[in-house]
Amino acid sequence: MELLFQFLSNTGYYLADYRNVIMIVVGCLFLYLGTAKHYEPLLLIPIGFGILVGNVPFFKGFGLGIYENNSVLHYLYFGVVTGLYPSIVFLGLGAMTDFSSLLARPVLMLLGAAAQMGIFFTLIGALAFGFLPKEAGSIAIIGGADGPTSIFLTAKLAPHLIGPIAIAAYSYMALIPVIQPPIMRLLTSRKERLIRMTELREVPKKERIIFPAVGVLLCCFLAPASIPLLGTFFFGNFLKESGVADRLAQTARTAIIDTATIFLGLTVGASTQGDVFLTPKSVGIFLLGAVAFSIATASGIIFAKIMNLFLKEKINPLLGAAGVSAVPGSAREVHLVGQSEDPENYLLMHAMACNSSGVIGSAICAGILWSFLVGL
Amino acid sequence: MYGLQAIAAHNGWAMALAGALIVFSGLVILSFVISQLHKILMFFEKKPGDVQQDMEKPKVAPFENKAGFLLPKTFPQNINEIARLYKPLAETLGETFYLSELYEMSRKNDFPHPHITLTALRESKILVSDGNGVFTWNLPAEHDDIENV
Repeated sequence: MELLFQFLSNTGYYLADYRNVIMIVVGCLFLYLGTAKHYEPLLLIPIGFGILVGNVPFFKGFGLGIYENNSVLHYLYFGVVTGLYPSIVFLGLGAMTDFSSLLARPVLMLLGAAAQMGIFFTLIGALAFGFLPKEAGSIAIIGGADGPTSIFLTAKLAPHLIGPIAIAAYSYMALIPVIQPPIMRLLTSRKERLIRMTELREVPKKERIIFPAVGVLLCCFLAPASIPLLGTFFFGNFLKESGVADRLAQTARTAIIDTATIFLGLTVGASTQGDVFLTPKSVGIFLLGAVAFSIATASGIIFAKIMNLFLKEKINPLLGAAGVSAVPGSAREVHLVGQSEDPENYLLMHAMACNSSGVIGSAICAGILWSFLVGL
Repeated sequence: MYGLQAIAAHNGWAMALAGALIVFSGLVILSFVISQLHKILMFFEKKPGDVQQDMEKPKVAPFENKAGFLLPKTFPQNINEIARLYKPLAETLGETFYLSELYEMSRKNDFPHPHITLTALRESKILVSDGNGVFTWNLPAEHDDIENV
């Protein structure tokens, strides 16, 4: 009988506290949003399931939890805290990305730069809220709307915040269809939303091959701290565009990125143990994350409107919202909002140009923030 | 520490401003470089040998022929479009003309394969014989609407 009681006292049912229950509900919500609503299922499902796994209460000292040495989850989490998984994800992203539309209309790259302003506004906001500089930098990067970049920078600056920052970043990425359209409509007139973009020129293969080499040199010379992200990103793109390493490019954009995404999502989810995750800081991070994401969207749109004051050939300011690096969610949303006004207005390819420049921009920002804050 | 005091104490304003400037200038430079990429490529693709050959080649205007009829770079395959190109030639010869006159004129004006083309125009009843060796141009009105080549 005593043995039975001892066993029961070690079960999750006995050890559970309300924080685990709350997080399990959050995990179920993620699974629901990913499965039933199709909101970023490739991200929300691994994270959601990771939250369930990470919040099963267990007897401390058994080497089970993600924060306990020698546990399996701890070994898998190694890829997160070292920035390994984000780097691998960027390799796959590069092998998937087609820069043709950006090369055809390089001016759209400026919208990717403008949308990064959300990061720097949030940096100031987080400092004002009382966060330490390294924490503020990690929170600010949520404005880039790039999950792997957020995780990478947080792992370097404030590893104790990886859980809330990753969850906030991915949540807002999944909620793009809810967050971005009202901001787009608020900041643009109907006439502006109706602007049609001219057809893009066909980009020769040589240009597409040279771009990753030029891109990695220019960006990484400027912000060497972004090498782990942009180095692999442009390398993946070179594999794709060279046309002679198709097998490698194919592996990078399928098996490798999928494996990294699975482990990244699962371990980030599992890192949200209720007792570690549910703190007042997490609430602040979620609030600031929403602000960061909204400012990033708005600054892209406003910058597009400013550009229109000087450009002969006007650009549709909705494209500014795609300057955040949530690929391809924000580009898709820009296209849908444009089509809701004029069903024959095809903005997708132009929006993808802004999106891909947003990926580069947010990785540079991560490098810059890391350089600024690492010594503090 | 909170608010403006915290921002100032942690050098927040300078970090935000410098960060924004760096990322902006980086992407502006990248954008400028890629906007010039096709020009750089064009420059390198024109090999020194090509330049020498260009200098040695006699200067000819391949597309504009002697009588001032403008020929497209690629001669059309469609008979109606070919007829539209031939029509100004035929008009200079008057309402009726000998086939040899039209042949000679098209040859002088660098029309490709005039013999085969005139045969095709006859077969498609665009060049119509009146039985005495004289021909008339018979391009129906709708063929005049063919898009300019």
